[in-house]
Amino acid sequence: MLDRSTRWACPLCTTEAVTVRAEPHTQMHRCSGLKGLLAPMVEAGTSCKVEAHEREDYVGTELVPTDGEGRPIMAVVTTRDDGQDCTVFAPTATAEVRF
Amino acid sequence: MAWSASAIFRALVTDALENTAALDLNADTFKVALYNNSITPDKDATAANSAYNAGQWANTNEVSESGQWAAGGVALGNPDITNPSSGVVMFDGDDTASGSAADLANVYGCLVYDDTLSTPVADQGVCYNYFGGANSVTNGTFTVVWAANGLFRITV
Repeated sequence: MLDRSTRWACPLCTTEAVTVRAEPHTQMHRCSGLKGLLAPMVEAGTSCKVEAHEREDYVGTELVPTDGEGRPIMAVVTTRDDGQDCTVFAPTATAEVRF
Repeated sequence: MAWSASAIFRALVTDALENTAALDLNADTFKVALYNNSITPDKDATAANSAYNAGQWANTNEVSESGQWAAGGVALGNPDITNPSSGVVMFDGDDTASGSAADLANVYGCLVYDDTLSTPVADQGVCYNYFGGANSVTNGTFTVVWAANGLFRITV
């Protein structure tokens, strides 16, 4: 039987995890190295750099995630030797009904 | 002009309340299509112009890659409309991801549309979500993490 388990680690903190899923997926965690931001983990043993990217535009009324210092974060980018992953945080579209 | 904010389409609310469109936000198939910054999303667009590959959402400005984040978008897993707290209606779903070898450049936001709906407007838009700037991947995974407050939230 094929082993579908994946071992995950974070280069910025000590978190480790193991998942058993057949479909492509990314394990997320609250990263102390990124001031508590929800961030993707990488497969254990992967050499990479993980950075939070601040929102580039006016926040306005958007509900955006912030890191531990209150900076609005747009995405977490993982740069590997052979490529780059990007995890974007989509703000919620909101509406209000008033009578 | 360009992206400036996230919003729910006015036509979605109108059409649901008028029973013009048979929307089922729990059971329909929804897709998430990615776009560059050459568009100016408009929450007041007509239903026809809120649809995928219509109006501002023409696929000439779509960012996609076959087999990774295909043109037309990636399906939203487990769409769900709920009332999580007093006065709140929330539409949520699983985080949405590309394949693991995607090349996508200058992704500024996404259109979420109803891929089940065929009449009176096929692929009618639900909402659009602005990521806040340019995002790219190279030989990697592009993941959209939906906020804890959902894809959209209506407060009554």
